This record gives sequence, structure tokens and C-alpha cells, in this order.
Amino acid sequence: MRRLAAPLLLALALGLAPSGVARAEPIACGAPPEALEAAPLPGAFAAIARGQFRVLVVGSASTASGGTSSPDHTWPQRLKALLAVRLTPVVVELETYGARGSTAADHARILATEARRFRPHLVVWQLGTVEAARGMSAEEMSEIVQDAATRLRAARGELTDLMVMDMQFSRFFRANANVEPYRDQLRYAAAASGAHYFSRWTVMKHWAETDRIDLERAPREQRTAVADQLHDCLARALTAYILEGTQRNRR
Amino acid sequence: MLASIVSLTRPGRDLRVDFLRGLALWFIFIDHTPGNLLGNLTLRNIAFCDATEGFVLLAGYASGIAYGRLMERDGWLPTAAKVIGRVGTLYVAHIFLFVVFTAQVGYSAAALDQAAYLDELQLDPFGQEPYRAMLEALLLRYQPAFLDILPLYIVVLALFALALPLIGRPMVLLGCSFALYAVTRALDFAPPSWTGSGWFFNPFAWQVLFAIGVVLARADPAWLGRRFGWNRWLAGLAFLALVGVAVMLNMVWHGPARGWEPPEWLAAWLIGVDKTGLHPARLLSVLVMTWLIAHLLPADARFLTGRWAAPFVLMGQQSLPVFCAGIFLSFLGRLAIETSAGPWMQAAVNIAGLLALVLVGVVSAWYSGEGRPKRPGPQPVPSLPAASRGASP
Repeated sequence: MRRLAAPLLLALALGLAPSGVARAEPIACGAPPEALEAAPLPGAFAAIARGQFRVLVVGSASTASGGTSSPDHTWPQRLKALLAVRLTPVVVELETYGARGSTAADHARILATEARRFRPHLVVWQLGTVEAARGMSAEEMSEIVQDAATRLRAARGELTDLMVMDMQFSRFFRANANVEPYRDQLRYAAAASGAHYFSRWTVMKHWAETDRIDLERAPREQRTAVADQLHDCLARALTAYILEGTQRNRR
Repeated sequence: MLASIVSLTRPGRDLRVDFLRGLALWFIFIDHTPGNLLGNLTLRNIAFCDATEGFVLLAGYASGIAYGRLMERDGWLPTAAKVIGRVGTLYVAHIFLFVVFTAQVGYSAAALDQAAYLDELQLDPFGQEPYRAMLEALLLRYQPAFLDILPLYIVVLALFALALPLIGRPMVLLGCSFALYAVTRALDFAPPSWTGSGWFFNPFAWQVLFAIGVVLARADPAWLGRRFGWNRWLAGLAFLALVGVAVMLNMVWHGPARGWEPPEWLAAWLIGVDKTGLHPARLLSVLVMTWLIAHLLPADARFLTGRWAAPFVLMGQQSLPVFCAGIFLSFLGRLAIETSAGPWMQAAVNIAGLLALVLVGVVSAWYSGEGRPKRPGPQPVPSLPAASRGASP
């Protein structure tokens, strides 16, 4: 009976995900479609089919709080809530490890222990900001990601998908740190490890340039509200990305 | 106006070098204003190398001409003293630009007031320990983003002062230079840095490009022409390789968002093509381009003496003030693009930036031009060998 139920559940969950034009607006807050183009996510697909989907999030300050009104409003928590709604009745579990100032090496250590314990089906790894702000070696960052991905694959095989997420877009950051080499290296690292690359930078830049969500220019009294909105929209964009990836598996 | 710029350019040298150096200086200004749309059109978008490689190679070339002649005339110590004097000028310029940089960062931090959003940006070394950062900057052990080319130039030029006696023995000079390059890459040998992650440009690796420039400048053009002559098949191959690299890089950068996954081995290899240690692929890339340009753009090409090339030739001839002005202006450009990145601001930053760079070149040429005969207007390049007239390193 369970064997029969699983594909049924999946078809239900994914079939309800509207596609094409309907998906782009309100769900992903008008994120540019090319940033939501996902390759197949076999680990997530299989987990959803089995009815239990575990997501592990590691990252730095924006993953921990990012100026939102409460921990429930950060993008990882919003992602959990949105996935739970979109994938009902699949059980979605999500654990977050975010710390201000943490680097790729810190994240790799967390991944090494937590992946074994939590056995996630999807790892979302947010990094790059601290490395770029401090002018650390971009190549070393990539090598750390590559090594961690190899270890993850050795331990979990096809059961876990890895997604690399880059920095938040900021005009101040763009002007005062040499961001592009780090973004290039993250792209190489993702491609070299068979990981997915979700460009938060591209999505947020689009929102800032189209005056949709612009945290940097928000008046001080609205900043928390705008941060909440930003994190919610990021979670929506990520949800769209993840569902797109699992849809591709179905095709 | 352009005609009067032509009259300020110095004839009698290889104008291709000056023109390309001017172009590199303009590209460096563009690449140092992140968010500048013209930044999508510079060399770094299609090649392993970018304007920095061109700048260092041509700086070596100009130094080879200028100090090579001094060396022949005055000997090592006086020439080395001149080079060290130049190093001092570069050092002062770097510290000045560092101060401007901190002021600019402070201003934009206040203007944008990023508060809780991206508070990790305050984790930069200057934000955490400003007094220590000042000391480390003086020791060149701390180089903020985009302030990394002058420290490289300073160390490379100081190494050049030591290597001057080898200038008459190009093969020995090249041999030593390549040996240092190889040892540096093999042993991860790097000058110390405060943050522990090394210099953005490792001068012990990058000196090889400068040395190649020096040797090219000192070599007999006829010999060079024979040794590295034109070969249609080789040129075709070189061209294909450059186009191949351009396509490959763009596929890896932009392919995944369009549904094309690059092979893992290719991406893994690209991680290692480092800029810090001047990866051989970067070195090869700039040398192949140099060879193609040297043959495809004749030294007596008409446009080089024309009015449209003149601003770039002039910028290339006045490279130090133009370079420093470019970095200084890029700070202003960043503030402007932070305010707005729309088409009008883009046009304003780029037009004003280029005009200001040319103006710095004009003032510098005019200021240092005493004693040179004024020419009425464009005139053909005299058939003097390139090395027979002055050059500014």
C-alpha cells in the first residue's frame, strides 16, 4: 500500500505546483526565471516520494537572522513553512546552522558531523560573504566546498542533493569588496561538485533594481518589515527552485 | 581638441605599446568600478587574463627601454637608485590611495547605513582594527579590495632594481625570472599578509610577466620578428584557442542558468586557474594575445598616429599619474554607481571618467614636456628604432 501511495503523493504534491507563467509571479516574488532554472534534484525527489523531506541549512549571518523581526521570519524557517504547505502531506524537517562571521571551513565541519546524524536529502549551503569581506582566498573557499561535497557524496551518495547559495546583493558590498572573483569561484565549486547553484545575488539584484525589495534603501523604521519581506521572498524563490528541480526528475 | 592631444604625444617609440597601455589603464578604471555596465565588455569576460596582465607586461616593456638605456650610460648603481626612487613614488601614491579608499568606504557606509543587513561586511580587517590596519597597510601586509596592483608593481620594480645587471643577458634574466616563478608556484611562496591569505597578486609570480616585457623591449626587433615570425596556421590555432577559452568560460559561468551543466573536471580545473600566482594558462593567454597583436597591428598603422588613438596613446605614455588617477576616480565612480546604476549615471561615470583620465594625461604630458619640440599636428612615426627615445616606466 505504501509503495502505491508514494507516487500518488508525489504526483499530488508536484501536480499542484503551477507551472510556467503562473509560477513566476506571486510565488517567487517576481524573481528572474533564469535564476530559478534548476537541474534535477534526485535526492529531494526520492525523499518527497517517500513522504519525508529533510533539509539542512548551513550559512553565515543572513541564515542566522539577517535583520528579520524573529527567527521565524528568516529565510530557512520560511522555506520550511512554504515547503510544508506546498508538499502536504509530506513531512518537512529543516535544521539551520547559521553563525555570524562563519566561513566555508566552519560550514564544512558542521556538514561533516550533522549530515551523518540528520541524514538530509537537501543541503543548502550559504557562503561567500565573509570570505569576500575579509579578502580571504577564493580558491581555498572553492576547494573546501569541493572537498565537503566529495565527502557528502561518499557518505550519502544520491540520497542528498547539495545546493550552494551565494551572497546577498548589496551596492555597498559590490562597491567595497571584490565580489566577482568569489562568485566565479562559487560557480566553479558548484559545477565541480555536481552541486546546484542558487544565485541569491542575481535574484536580490533584480529585486533591488526593479524597486521591488531594496533593503539597503529602506527607511530605518521599515527596515525590519522589509527584511521580513526579503526573507519570505527568498524562501519563495528557493521553493520554486526546489520544486522545479524535483519536477525535472519526474519528466 | 583631439588634434591638440596628438601634439602632446611623444613620437619615436612603439605607439602600439602606448596605445595598449592606455587601453589597459582605461579597462582598469572600468573594472575597479563594480556595477559599471562597461565592465561586461572588458577582457576579463572573455579571457583568462585581463587588463592587469597587459599593464604589467607593458610596464616591463617601458622599464626595459627607459632603464636599459640608463644602465648602458650610467651603470648599475645610478640606475638602481632611479628605480628605487620610482618605487618610493609608487609607495607614496599607494598610501595616498589607501587613505582615499578608507574615506570613501566610511562615506558610503554612512550614506547607505546598512545596519543589521549584511553586518558581516563590518568584519573586514579595517572595520575591526583600524589602527593595526593602518600599520599593516604601511607595511603592505594589508591591501583592501582593488588596492592590490600598486603593491605588486612596487615589489616587482624593486626586484627589477636588483636584476638590472642581467639586463644585457636576456636569457639569464628570463631564466632567473622563470625559476623564481616556478619555485613560487611550486612552494606556495608568498610575501606575508596580515589576514593570512596572501597578496591578491603574488609579486614573486607576476614578476615573470614584467621580465618578459623587459626582454621584449631590449631585444632586436628584427631578431624577434625572425624568432617569433608570422605563421598563418599557428595564428589560426591561437585565434581558435582564444575563442575556445572565451566560449568555455562563458558556458561555465552562464550555462547552468540556461540548462547546460559544465563537465565537473572542467569546473574543477578552473578553480585552480588562480590569478594570485599567475597560473600558466593566464600567462600563456596574455603572451598569445601579445603575439597576435604584434603581428596584426603594424607599428606604423595609420590609426595609431590619428586623433582617435591619441587619447589612449597619451594615457599610456603618462601611465603612472593616469593609473593613480584611475584608481582615485574609480572611488568616485563607485560612490556614483552606489547612488544610482541607471543608464544616465552609467553614461556620466564612464564619460566623465575617461575625460578625466585623458585630462590627467594631458596635464602630465604638458607639465613634463618642457624641452621637447612642439609639433604642429599629426605626423608620421619617424623610422627611429623604438628604443632610441625616452619612455616612462
